[in-house]
Amino acid sequence: MKKTLTCLVVAGLLASGSSWAGEIRIGATMRMISENGQKYGQMMQDEFDAINARGGINGNTVELILLNDECKSDKGVANANKFAYQDNVHLIIGSTCSSVSLPIVDVTAQAEVPQIIPHSTNDQITKKDSAWVFRVPISARYYKGVVAKYLHDKVGDQVAYVYASDAAAMSETQGIIQQMRDVYGVEPVYEAQTQEKEIDFRSHLLKIKDLEPDAIYFGGLQEPIARFLVQSYEVGIPASVVRAASSAASNAPVPKLAGDAVQGVFFSAAYSDSDTRPIAQLFNSYVRNRYGIGGVDHDFSQAYDLIRIVEIALGNADLSLEDDDLAADRTAIRDAIANVQGYEGLASGPISFCADSTPQCRDGNRTPVLIQYIEGGEDFKVGILDRVTMPIEFGL
Amino acid sequence: MLVDFLVVGVSIGLVYAIVALGISLIYSGLDIVHFAHGEFVMFGAFFGLVLVNDSGLNYPISIFLAMIFAGLMGVVVERVFYRRLTSKGGGYTVAGMGMIICGFGMAIILQNIAFLIWGAEGHAINVDFGTPMKIGTVNLPKSYLWILCVSVGLMAILHLFLKNTKAGLAIRAVAANKDIAYLMGINVPLMISLIFGLACGLAAVGGVLIGPINYVQVEMGYLILIKGFAAAVVGGFGSLPGAILGGLMVGIFETLGAGYISGSHKDIYAFLLLIAVLVIMPTGLFGQLAKSKA
Repeated sequence: MKKTLTCLVVAGLLASGSSWAGEIRIGATMRMISENGQKYGQMMQDEFDAINARGGINGNTVELILLNDECKSDKGVANANKFAYQDNVHLIIGSTCSSVSLPIVDVTAQAEVPQIIPHSTNDQITKKDSAWVFRVPISARYYKGVVAKYLHDKVGDQVAYVYASDAAAMSETQGIIQQMRDVYGVEPVYEAQTQEKEIDFRSHLLKIKDLEPDAIYFGGLQEPIARFLVQSYEVGIPASVVRAASSAASNAPVPKLAGDAVQGVFFSAAYSDSDTRPIAQLFNSYVRNRYGIGGVDHDFSQAYDLIRIVEIALGNADLSLEDDDLAADRTAIRDAIANVQGYEGLASGPISFCADSTPQCRDGNRTPVLIQYIEGGEDFKVGILDRVTMPIEFGL
Repeated sequence: MLVDFLVVGVSIGLVYAIVALGISLIYSGLDIVHFAHGEFVMFGAFFGLVLVNDSGLNYPISIFLAMIFAGLMGVVVERVFYRRLTSKGGGYTVAGMGMIICGFGMAIILQNIAFLIWGAEGHAINVDFGTPMKIGTVNLPKSYLWILCVSVGLMAILHLFLKNTKAGLAIRAVAANKDIAYLMGINVPLMISLIFGLACGLAAVGGVLIGPINYVQVEMGYLILIKGFAAAVVGGFGSLPGAILGGLMVGIFETLGAGYISGSHKDIYAFLLLIAVLVIMPTGLFGQLAKSKA
C-alpha cells in the first residue's frame, strides 16, 4: 500500500513538473484587502487570461499565481519566498505597498528572480542596487520635485506637513520637505509624523490652524488621507488654505470617503481619470464597464501598463521553459525587461528601463501628473494641473 | 487653543466613557474582562452605516436601532458561546481565564464575519451635520454635540434604570453576589444576559457616534477598546461612575498631550495617565466603590 502511494506521489510530482514546460509562471503579491485592491488583482488575472486566450506569448501560456499580502511585509516576504523557491516562478510582480516591496527586493535579489513593481513609490526600492528589480510606477523622488515646485510657485511657502509612518508616505513627504529646504530655502511651518493607522488628527490640525499656513500637506494611505481632509474642516481650517496629499490620494476610496472635503485637494500621481488621450478614454470606459468603478485611479493604469511591459519583455525573451533552465530563463526575462525602451501606454510619458542596477535605469516612469479634485464622492471628478517629465538624475 | 483641545478631548473622551461603561458593566456583573467588546463597537458602527446609508433612516433612529441590534447580538453571543464558561465562575478561576481566551477568539471571529460582509475598506456614514458652530474662536462641529447629548443622555438613563427599576436592582444584586441573588429569587441567567445586552448596546452607540468622524472599518474596534480599557482601569474596574470619569480623563489627557507635547505619540499619554493613577491609587480612582460594584 505504501509503495503504491509513493509511486502515485512521485508520478504526480513528475506529471506536475512536466506540465511546467511551455508555461511561464508569474507570481503576483499585492494588497487585495479592499474592493479596489481586489479589482487590481482581478484585472491582472483577466489580462493574463486574455493573453492566453490569444494564444499566449510565443506559444507559451502564462500561469499567474496571485496572492494577497494585505500590505503586510511579513506576508509579502513569505509570498515572495514561496514564489521563488516553491513555485519556481519566472517573474515576480509586487507589491502594492512600499513597506512590502522593500523587503521583497532582498528576497528577489538573493533568489535571482526578476521583480517588477506595480504600485510602490518609495525611492529606496531602486536604491538597493539590485539587478533584479524594475519599477513601473513613479518614484517618490520625482513626485517630490513636482509637488514642491507647485507649492512654491503657485501656493506659498508656509506649508504644514503631517505624514503617517508607512514607507511610501514618509518617502514622499520627507522628500518634499527636503526639496523645499534645499531648492527654495524654506522650512516647514509644522511637521509631524503619526502612526500608520491613526484615526484622529485633530490635535495636529488645531495647532496647524493656529499657524495660519498657506497649505497643509498630508502623506498617508487612502483612509487616513480622507480622515485628515474631513477633520481639517471640522476644526475650522478655512477652504482658502490649500490641501495637498501624497500620491495615494489618487485612489478612489479617498474622494468616496472624504466627499466634499476632497474638493480642491491636489496631489501628484501617474495617471489622471480626466486624461483626454484616446487610449486613456478607452481604458477608462473599459475599467468602468468591466469592474464597476466610478473613477479610474492610477493603480489601475499602472497595473495595466505593467502587464503590457511584461508581455513585451516575455515576447522578446528567449525562453526554454524547461525546469533545468529556470535560472537562465529568469536572467533572460530580466534582460528583456531591461531592454524595454520608450513604452507608450497609459502613463503620461514613455517608460524605459536599462541594464544597470541604478535608480536611473530602474525607475522607468519619470512623468508625474499634478491632479486636482474638482468633485468628491463615488463619481468623483479630477482635473490635470500640470504634467512634467523629470530629469533622469532628479532626486539622487 | 486650550478650549479647542478640551472640546476635542471631551468629545472623544465621552466615546471612551461609553465603551468603558460597557466593559465595567460586564466586569461588575460577571467578574470577567470582555476582550471582544471592541468588536461590538465595530458591529454597532456597521449597523449604523447600513441603517443610515442603505436604509435611509435618520441618525438618531439609526443610533437607537444599532443599539438594539448590537444588544441582541450580545445576548446571543453570551447565551450561546459564553454561558458555559461564565457559569463556572469568573476572575482568577480557570473558567475566568478561559473566558479571556474565549474573548480574544470571539474578537477574531467577529472581525472576520465583518470582513466577509463589509470588506476591509473604510466606509463613511453619510450624515450631514451641517457647518460647525462658531463660538468665539472655537469651532464646534455638530457631530461633537451629538456625541455629548447622546452620551450624557444614555448615562443618565442607565443611572436611572439601575437605581430606580426592579430590573436595575436585580442587576445590582447579581453584581454584588450571584448566589445570594439566586436564593432571593432573581433570575440570574436572565440578568446576566441583560447586562451583556446593555453593555454591547452601549458599545454600539459608541461606534455609531464615532463612525461619521473616523469612518467605519473592521479594525476600528480594538483601537477604541484599548482606550476603553484604559478608561475603565483609571476609573476603577467595575465602577460605573469611574468609567465615565476615566473616559473623560483619558480623552482630555491624550488630546492635551498631543496638543502641547507631541502629537506623534498621542497613544502614549493615555497609558502614562493609567500608570500614574495606578501608582498612586492601585484600584483606580473609584477603587473603593469598585469593591462594592455597580
